[in-house]
Amino acid sequence: MSYHKPDEKTLQALKDIANKLRIHSIKETCASNSGHPTSCCSAAELMSVLFFHTMRYKANDPRNPSNDRFILSKGHAAPILYAAWAEAGFIKESELLNLRKIDSDLEGHPTPKLAFVDVATGSLGQGLGAACGMAYTGKYFDKASYRVYCMMGDGECSEGSVWEAMAFASYYKLDNLVAILDVNRLGQSEAAPLQHNMDTYKERCKAFGFNTYVVDGHDVEELCKALWHAEQTKGKPTAIVAKTFKGKGLKGIEDQDNWHGKPMPKDRAEELINDLLSQIQSPNKPLHPQLPNEDVALADLTPIRLLTAPEYKIGDKMSTRKAYGVALKKMGDASPRVVAMDGDTKNSTFSDIFKKAHPDRFIECFIAEQNMVSVAIGCATRDRTVSFASAFAAFFARAYDHIRMAAISQSNVNLVGSHCGVSIGEDGPSQMALEDLAMFRAIPTCTVFYPSDGVSTERAVELAANTKGICFIRTSRPDTAVIYDAGEKFEVGKAKVVRQSDKDQVTIIGAGVTLHEALAAHDQLAKEGVNIRVIDPFTIKPLDASTIVASARATGGKVITVEDHYKDGGLGEAVLSALGEEPGIVVHRLAVSCVPRSGKPQELLDMFGISAKSIVAAVRRTFAN
Amino acid sequence: MFKKHIIFQILYIIVGPLCPASLKRFVFYKVPPQLQGSYLSMEDYHKPDQQTVQALRNIANRLRINSIKATTAVGNGHPTSCCSVAEIMSVLFFHTMKYRPDDHKNPNNDRFILSKGHAAPVLYSVWVEIGFLKESELMSMCQVDSTLEGHPTPKQQFVDVATGSLGQGLGVACGMAYTAKYFDKSSYHVYCLLGDGEMSEGAVWEAMAFASYYQLDNLLAILDINRLGQSDPAPLQHHVEKYQRRCEAFGWHAIIVDGHSVEELCKAMSQPRHQPTAIIAKTIKGKGIPVAEDKMGWHGKVLSKDMAESVMRDIQSRILNSNKRMYPASPIEDAPPVSLRNVRMPSAPNYKPGEKIATCKAYGMAVAKLGRYNERVVAMDVDTKNFTCSEIFKNEHPNRFIECYSAEQNMVSVATGCAARERNIVFASGLATFFTRAYDQLRMAAISDSNINLCGSHCGLSDGEDGPAHMGLEDMAIFRAIPTATIFYPSDAVSTEKAVELAANTKGVCYVRTTRPETAIIYNSNEDFHVGQAKVVCQSKEDQVTVIGAGMTLHEALAAAEQLKKERIHIRVIDPFTIKPLDAKTIIDHVRSTRGRVITVEDHYYEGGLGEAVCSAIVNEPGFTFQRLAVAHVPRSGKMSDLFKIYGIDRDSIAQLVRKMLSSSANAK
Repeated sequence: MSYHKPDEKTLQALKDIANKLRIHSIKETCASNSGHPTSCCSAAELMSVLFFHTMRYKANDPRNPSNDRFILSKGHAAPILYAAWAEAGFIKESELLNLRKIDSDLEGHPTPKLAFVDVATGSLGQGLGAACGMAYTGKYFDKASYRVYCMMGDGECSEGSVWEAMAFASYYKLDNLVAILDVNRLGQSEAAPLQHNMDTYKERCKAFGFNTYVVDGHDVEELCKALWHAEQTKGKPTAIVAKTFKGKGLKGIEDQDNWHGKPMPKDRAEELINDLLSQIQSPNKPLHPQLPNEDVALADLTPIRLLTAPEYKIGDKMSTRKAYGVALKKMGDASPRVVAMDGDTKNSTFSDIFKKAHPDRFIECFIAEQNMVSVAIGCATRDRTVSFASAFAAFFARAYDHIRMAAISQSNVNLVGSHCGVSIGEDGPSQMALEDLAMFRAIPTCTVFYPSDGVSTERAVELAANTKGICFIRTSRPDTAVIYDAGEKFEVGKAKVVRQSDKDQVTIIGAGVTLHEALAAHDQLAKEGVNIRVIDPFTIKPLDASTIVASARATGGKVITVEDHYKDGGLGEAVLSALGEEPGIVVHRLAVSCVPRSGKPQELLDMFGISAKSIVAAVRRTFAN
Repeated sequence: MFKKHIIFQILYIIVGPLCPASLKRFVFYKVPPQLQGSYLSMEDYHKPDQQTVQALRNIANRLRINSIKATTAVGNGHPTSCCSVAEIMSVLFFHTMKYRPDDHKNPNNDRFILSKGHAAPVLYSVWVEIGFLKESELMSMCQVDSTLEGHPTPKQQFVDVATGSLGQGLGVACGMAYTAKYFDKSSYHVYCLLGDGEMSEGAVWEAMAFASYYQLDNLLAILDINRLGQSDPAPLQHHVEKYQRRCEAFGWHAIIVDGHSVEELCKAMSQPRHQPTAIIAKTIKGKGIPVAEDKMGWHGKVLSKDMAESVMRDIQSRILNSNKRMYPASPIEDAPPVSLRNVRMPSAPNYKPGEKIATCKAYGMAVAKLGRYNERVVAMDVDTKNFTCSEIFKNEHPNRFIECYSAEQNMVSVATGCAARERNIVFASGLATFFTRAYDQLRMAAISDSNINLCGSHCGLSDGEDGPAHMGLEDMAIFRAIPTATIFYPSDAVSTEKAVELAANTKGVCYVRTTRPETAIIYNSNEDFHVGQAKVVCQSKEDQVTVIGAGMTLHEALAAAEQLKKERIHIRVIDPFTIKPLDAKTIIDHVRSTRGRVITVEDHYYEGGLGEAVCSAIVNEPGFTFQRLAVAHVPRSGKMSDLFKIYGIDRDSIAQLVRKMLSSSANAK
């Protein structure tokens, strides 16, 4: 097929739309008296060509699974995205003037409160990773014809996550993905480091395996052509590196410093708008987006249940990380929608058990945790998949900004962190997650599972697959005994009382390895005639406050928490928050209080005061007081 | 292509000595562009004699033997990842680098960062070879009483920063190289050894872009391309030319070498450098261990005792007699002396009570002021300097400001690098919420015992219309979970200036949380501030409830106090000043005197912030009634005042909760 230049009328109409988008962007940001009109203006022709020439979608049904996807990675250009959807007819023009108002869904940066937004943006450099997840899903899972377009700014190309995504896209030959770089030269507080050095952008994109075109970003014909070529290119993703001017079309403002994030002054807006209006030749020539090929089925949203109960016997020894791999594989057996990914740790997190059984549904993301989380989010958009991404729990710290944004994106992604706490032993503090509970608790949409044996891990995986919001499952390295019957029922926010008697004097709350330490302490104290109650919270968020309060009351108000985590933000503080208003309860917390070190797991549990020995001592201290 | 390369070299060798320097340069630059990357110039290169080459090979093999021996002895570690870098380490430490082996922290020494920290045993073996460590110490590494940990930490003098979380070394190296070139103006160089697996980390490319932008020609990165990652081959396998192309596109000079050839390594490392240089070393993982060489399934696996013994015998047999002892060259002593002790503001803050100023602006002014009196105070930002107000510092001290662009991970690494060996007092700023991007780097900064100061502006809902993507509502949670952190949350310009001064003198990671809206000055200029000491801002004998707020919410609490006063309800208002450590004693004492009633109000999510910090402090106090106000959901765009109301952290919400608390305790009676 050869390229046919669009006719003059179409080209003029695209130019006219670009100027209309500029005018809307100015009006919107003047009305809100904040926002980034100059960052919109540089992208006006790009948006016009994408939305009214290249992309195929149903303008009245933005979430249709067959639609091409669009991600505005430079989220601060939100006003022009809203303007495009106004031009496409999905939102009313008058609504545009409510930008950034408290009762409008047209927020400062795009969020999925709007049907045409799949993922929230506004934290720079995250769009392309999500786009990779969507493109991977389109090509390999949906095997459909929809394409994915991601618009980026030049400032955000300094973010490493962009290059993680670039490497991923070329490695997986995502030829249904187009990255558009709006190289408008100016950042927020000064020029971006590469300014208008188009060759360097080109070299970088090419070196990272992209089919790359450098274009004049204000020339609609060049854009039509480059985007057409992108569609013909097989085996490689395409980058359109567009040389543009920030504030293009705004006299006296174009390519000038100090206009980032500033609306047009009221006294100049009218003149600027009139100037743009005068360039519009046929204000009423409507252009309609092309419709998509409807080759994608609607997602099957029925809950995914394990086909068989866990196959563990009480007393079996296995690590929860391994139980995760087994469980995930079983979930994969239960539904083709379950997909998994890892950051080159699959032999440690045991996601390789899933990979072996379902190789076509496993994505190796290599050592790029930020991108892995973005890919997982992208895969989960429009309910196309139920995605599970695993890595060492400590390395989710690398992706915390992405996880935070996932909450704003209303994502249902599932993250699984293995090797938590000092119980990993010799590898030392850099590999130990001791802040992950604090991190995930501070994510408003998050459910935090902390299973303590094989059975509860398997149920945690099953529940996570069906729980909205972000789910985090914390798994441990050491082998521990199975403590639950295969038929035991688990629910989010429901704790288990693992040991109890009528004479319990203290309630101990532990999870993972510390639950097993608590059980050992229980047995030891029982020999001395001291009974303690042991609780497994199962989920740290939400925490089962009523079970904990009831147990605390039953044990004379004495509670000890013990966790393989730092003291701040973890299980202990979650329990304190839950008990906040209960009078007469005394809580002692055992947790890691300083940067730990290498050593044998059991030695470290002792050294940092979270072993059975420490629990026994704490119980005794409780009575001494 | 290769032939042409040789012809040029020969041409150079023949013509070179006869030519004036200008012509030499001409010959050098006539190399066709496609060859330049791998072209080894002969300029100033003295080929090591055969004895030296053999001695370096011998050292490499001894490093292999010790790495295998140690990992087998303790049953833990990554011997195959050590074996791929044996020649690289040998050449670096015994041929290329200039340092005093008996004085690790000497500021003139070349710096070395093992970014692929899992190869720790080979680093330790180097120091055994030098004679600093005993072999017996190496054989008990990773044990609970050894300071040789599974991954390098600064418990060892020869380690400046902890590694083990991949992809972080190069950013730190950038901070050191920037310091050498622009702050110390000294001749020491910085060497960073990376693995190929970690090249997938974006942080590496942030650092790559930074190094070329700032022309860090004193920085050398060695890429150990051993093909295999942990669970799979690394994505680019042995395509060294792809690595080269990526490095070149990011502005580096990139040389491909056989990573097991000490001659090639010596030559490549001796090149004069005019830009940051990457040596792309093609290596074999497990080199020297026949069963594991270039094989999958050997990452992080130790050899059995029997296997180790036979392998070590085999390697030992390759160590040829050589009387040559290798000593590192001494460094040039041109790093200036630096003292970072007791850095004080020369004068009290110059603000008047009632004056209105944003704490983010006060931060910029304070750091600029501190910079006036100590030339080792440096600042950096991520293209948000006009928001965080660090541009005030930049305008006054342009040579001590580093623009890091939109790369938060790298900024924190650069800050850590600049602060290493106590060369600088570093203040790095960005929007509070974007420190989440660098949380892994912050976590590692604690393990590195790093003394860096970070300032997060635009915290909480007070960012208003920009919406949730820009609101820092989890920053206190993540900084509280850093064991070495001190968290300042100043509520006016006076306390902000004091916070900056205290941060400069406080060890560990210091975080200063600032706010965008203007707020009134509430402290006198001569007010004394200390870490861990709260201030009682408003009190009377009739106080019935204690309210603890900080930043914007402290001002909301003060407004609520005014409002309630009209109803004859008096409340005590406490400004904690530091959230970590929290002044538990002051809080408990005052809550007691308000009959155990306490409310916290914070511009942060419920989890991990001020409320939970207070909860932790007062938990076992009998008779306390504790209520919290915080943000419970992902917020939205809107005016700050509307958002404060909607999410229930404004003055009305506080006043209402105070009334409720009092009426329920009245009912209880």
